[in-house]
Amino acid sequence: MNNSMIRIIIGHIMKIEAAFLLLPCIVALIYGEKEGFVYLAVAAGTALGGFILGLKKAEDKTLFLKEGCVTTALSWIVMSIIGALPFYITGEIPNYLDACFETVSGFTTTGSSILNDIESLSHASLFWRSGTHWIGGMGVLVFLLSIVSLSGGSTINLMKAESPGPSVGKLVPKIKASARYLYLIYAAMTFIEAVLLMLGGCPIFDSITLAFGTAGTGGFAIRGDSVAGYSAYVQWVITIFMILFGVNFNVYYYMLIRHIKDALKIEEVRYYLLVILSSIVIIFINVRNMFDSVGDAIRHTSFTVASIITTTGFATVDFDTWNTTCKIIIVMLMFIGACAGSTGGGIKVSRFVIIAKTIRKEINSYIHPRSIKKIIYDGKPAEHVMIRSVNVYMATYILILSISILLVSFEGEDLVTTVTSVITCFNNIGPGLNKLGPTCNFSFLGGFTKLVLMFDMLAGRLELFPLVMLFNPKLLKELLITKRRPVSKTK
Amino acid sequence: MFGSNKPKGGMSIIIVGCGKVGSALVERLSGEGHNITIIDKDSAKIQALTNMYDVMGVNGNGASYNVQVEAGIDTADLFIAVTDSDELNLLCCTVAKREGKCVTIARVHTPEYSKEAAFLKDKLGLEMIINPEYEAAKVMSRTLSLPMAEEVSSFAHGQVEMIKIRIPEGNKLDGLKVMDLGRDVTSNVVICAVERGGEVFIPSGQFILRGGDLISFVATRKDARGFLSKIGFKSGAIKDALIVGGGKDSYYLAELLIRAGVQVSIIERDTDKCETLSIMLPKAVIINDDGTNEEVLKEAGLESTQAFIPLTGIDEENIILSMYAKQVSSAKVITRIARNNFRSIVNNLDLGSVIFPKYIVSEAIVAYVRAKKNSMDCNIETLYHIFGSRAEAIEFIVENETAVTGKKLSQIKLKNDLRIAYIRRKNTIIFPGGEDEIKVGDAVMIVTTHTGFKDIQDILQ
Repeated sequence: MNNSMIRIIIGHIMKIEAAFLLLPCIVALIYGEKEGFVYLAVAAGTALGGFILGLKKAEDKTLFLKEGCVTTALSWIVMSIIGALPFYITGEIPNYLDACFETVSGFTTTGSSILNDIESLSHASLFWRSGTHWIGGMGVLVFLLSIVSLSGGSTINLMKAESPGPSVGKLVPKIKASARYLYLIYAAMTFIEAVLLMLGGCPIFDSITLAFGTAGTGGFAIRGDSVAGYSAYVQWVITIFMILFGVNFNVYYYMLIRHIKDALKIEEVRYYLLVILSSIVIIFINVRNMFDSVGDAIRHTSFTVASIITTTGFATVDFDTWNTTCKIIIVMLMFIGACAGSTGGGIKVSRFVIIAKTIRKEINSYIHPRSIKKIIYDGKPAEHVMIRSVNVYMATYILILSISILLVSFEGEDLVTTVTSVITCFNNIGPGLNKLGPTCNFSFLGGFTKLVLMFDMLAGRLELFPLVMLFNPKLLKELLITKRRPVSKTK
Repeated sequence: MFGSNKPKGGMSIIIVGCGKVGSALVERLSGEGHNITIIDKDSAKIQALTNMYDVMGVNGNGASYNVQVEAGIDTADLFIAVTDSDELNLLCCTVAKREGKCVTIARVHTPEYSKEAAFLKDKLGLEMIINPEYEAAKVMSRTLSLPMAEEVSSFAHGQVEMIKIRIPEGNKLDGLKVMDLGRDVTSNVVICAVERGGEVFIPSGQFILRGGDLISFVATRKDARGFLSKIGFKSGAIKDALIVGGGKDSYYLAELLIRAGVQVSIIERDTDKCETLSIMLPKAVIINDDGTNEEVLKEAGLESTQAFIPLTGIDEENIILSMYAKQVSSAKVITRIARNNFRSIVNNLDLGSVIFPKYIVSEAIVAYVRAKKNSMDCNIETLYHIFGSRAEAIEFIVENETAVTGKKLSQIKLKNDLRIAYIRRKNTIIFPGGEDEIKVGDAVMIVTTHTGFKDIQDILQ
C-alpha cells in the first residue's frame, strides 16, 4: 500500500476544502455575520493540516486501484469530519455527531437534515450547507484531478473510485483535461440555473443555494418548507435542471464538441427519460384530484418525480399523503436513481438496463439452450467483466441494504420509517416516508442509527466498494500497521 | 501547421496496436505530455494500458472509419499504426490519411513490403515507415562492425559515433584522470558517461577511470577506431557470424552482414523457413536443425565463430544461448531481448551486448515526434536514452542568442553531471575545450543524468 501517496492526496483534499471554506466567509462578510470567523479559523486550520500532510514527498507515485479506492474513501471521511466543524463550533448544531450527519448528508448529496429550524441558521452556514452539495456532486477528487497534475497515469484509479456508474471512461485522453471539462460543464450549468432562478424573481442568495442543491442533486433548501414556498416558475426551472443534472455528463460533452450522434447513442439517457415520463403519467392519474388545477398537478408530479429519480430530494408537496401506488412508484424511483456519470445517486439507470438485458438473455437461453447472444450496450458488445460487476454490485447492494435496515430497526420505529430511512440515505435522496416524509427530519433518531445512515450515505455515494474495502482486515492492516518494506536489492 | 492552435498540451496522437512496440510508445510518449488515444481489438490490453498511463482507450478495429472517428481522427496530429499485421497497419494509415489531416506512421516489417518502403511511403502518403526488425538488425550489425565495443550508436547523420566499451584491468585508461586523456592518449575523444557499480556518472576532469568501468565516448568514426587501437583494443571487423533462428530480424541482419562481407550461418528449425531463407540469402549457409541443441551449435562452429547472435522468438532461450556461447567460445555475443521485464537481472548477466528492439523503434518515433514538435516549444533536435535510460544524450539546435552563446565555454557555469559532447557547426564536428564557444546555428550535443531539459539554457546552473 502506497501510504505516502494516500497521505499527500488527502493533504491536497484538505487544501481544497480549506479554499471552499473561505466562500462562507465571504457570505458572512456580506451579511455581517460573526460566524465568518469560525469558517475562517477552520479554513486556516485545515489548510495548515493539508500543508503538513503534503510536506514529505512520496518516492513512489503509483496508485493502484486499491489505493485509489482507499484514498477516495478516506478523503470523504476526512472531508466530512472537517466540514462538520463550523456547524459545531458556531453552536448552530450543538451535537457534533449531528453536525457530521448534516455534513455527510451534504457531501454525499443526500439532503437528509437533522435541523428542526433551518431558517435560524446564519447565511454563512446555509451557504456552506448547500455548498457541500456542489462539491460532493461532481466529486472532490475529480476537482483535484482537474487542477493538479499528479504524475503517473494511474490517477485514473482515483476517478474510477469516485465517479458513479459501472464503467468509467475519459472524455479526452488526458485525465486532467477530462476532469476539467466535467467541472466546466458542471459549473456552467449551475451558473445558468442560478441566473434563470434570479430572473424569476428569486432572491440572489436563494438562487445560488438552490442552484447548488440542484447541481449536486443534493436537496438542502434554505427554507423549512423546502421549495414549496417559491413561485411556479422557480419550481419548473428546478424541475428541468434536476433532470438535466441527472443525465450522463458525456452527453453534454458530446454536444459541446458537436457530436450529436454520439450523444443520442447513449442508451441509458433514453431509458432515463422514459422512466421519468411514465412515472409522471402514472402518478398524475393518481393524484389529479388532490390539486385545484391540472397545471398544479402536473407541476407537483413532475417536480416530485424529477426530485426523487435524480436523488435530489427537494419537495414542493408532502408526497407522504399520496396514495400507496404513488408511494411505491416513488420508492422504486429511489432505487433506480439517475444516470451513470451524472451527479445523482441510486443504483443508476445503466445498471438496470444491463440487468434487464441480462435477464432477457437468460430467458432466451432457456428457450434455446445452446444459443449464443452477446449483450449489446450503447451499440457495443458489453464486456463480461462489466456485467459481472453489475451483478456483484446488486448483490452487495442488497446485502448492505438488508443489514442496514436490520441495524436501524433497533431504533424501534415503524416498518415504513425504518425501511425508507435506509433507502433514502443509501440512495442519497433525502426525504423518506411516514415519520421521515418531506415535512419531517432525521433529528429524532438515535446516535447509532445516525452512524449507520452516515455509512449508508457514503457507501451509496462512492458506489459501495471503496468504502466496504476499508473493512477488509488485510487492507486495514497494510494501511495502519505495516510500513512499506524496503525494496531488496538484487545482487 | 503542427498543432499550432494547441500551444501547450502536446500533440494529439493515435496509436493503433498495443503490443510490445505500442506499449513502449505509450510509455514514452505519455511521459512527454502528449494526448494519446490507443486503439486495439483486445480490450484487456487497453484496460492494462489505461490503468497504467494517462491515455484514452478505444476498443475496436483500428482500420475502421467509425473507430477512428471515435478516437478523434479529425483532430489528431499523428497517427501511428503498430499492430502485428503490415496490411492492417497500411490500411489504418490509408483510412486515417483520407479522413484526418494527420501525419501517419506505419510499422511494416515483412521483407517483401519493406523493400518497397519508398514506394509505399510515396503512394500511400505515409510520412514514416518503421521496421523494428530492420532497425534492430542495423544496430546489431553496427555493433558487430566494432566487435570490441559493447554498443555503437551513431549521431549527426553518422558523422559521430557514441561507443560504449568496458575498460579491462591494467589498461592504459585504468587509473587515468579524464583531464589527462588529451595529453596522454588523444584529444579528439570525449568521455561522456561512466557506469561503475551500477551507477552512472558524468565524469568531470578530475574523474579517475578504473578497470571494469563501462565508458561511453563520442568521436568521429575514424578517431574512434584510432583511439581504440591506441588503448590496446584490437580492431578489425568480424569475418563470420552464427545466427540462431530464422525470423525477420535474422534475415535483415544476415543481409546487412553479407553486404559487409561477413560469412553468415543461420540455424533454423523449420524446413520451409530454411528454404525461403536460402532463396532470399543465397550467400548464407542455412542449417536446418534445432539451434538450441549443444551438438548442433558445435557442429555449426560455435567454438570458432567470431560472432554469435541468438535470435529465437523466446527471450529466455536467447539468454541461455548467449550464456552458453560466452562459456564455450570467445565470440562476440549479442543478445536481443523483446520484452523488458526484469531488466535489472538482465543487466547483471554476462550476455555480451544487449539490445531491446522495441526501444530502438520507440526512440526513432519519439525522435520524429520531437522534431515535429520542435517548432512549438522546445529546440531539442534528438534525444537518446543511454545506459538504460539512466542518462540522456540530447542534441539542441541553437536558434537565438542566449546566455550560452558567444562566450568561451570555460566562462559558462554548467550544471554538475552534465557534459557537452560535441558541437556541430555546418558540417564540422568540434569536440569542445574551454576555449571554444557556442554560436547561433550550432547543434550542441550534451550528455547528462538530469532529465526534463527543454532548452539549451537548461544546461546552465
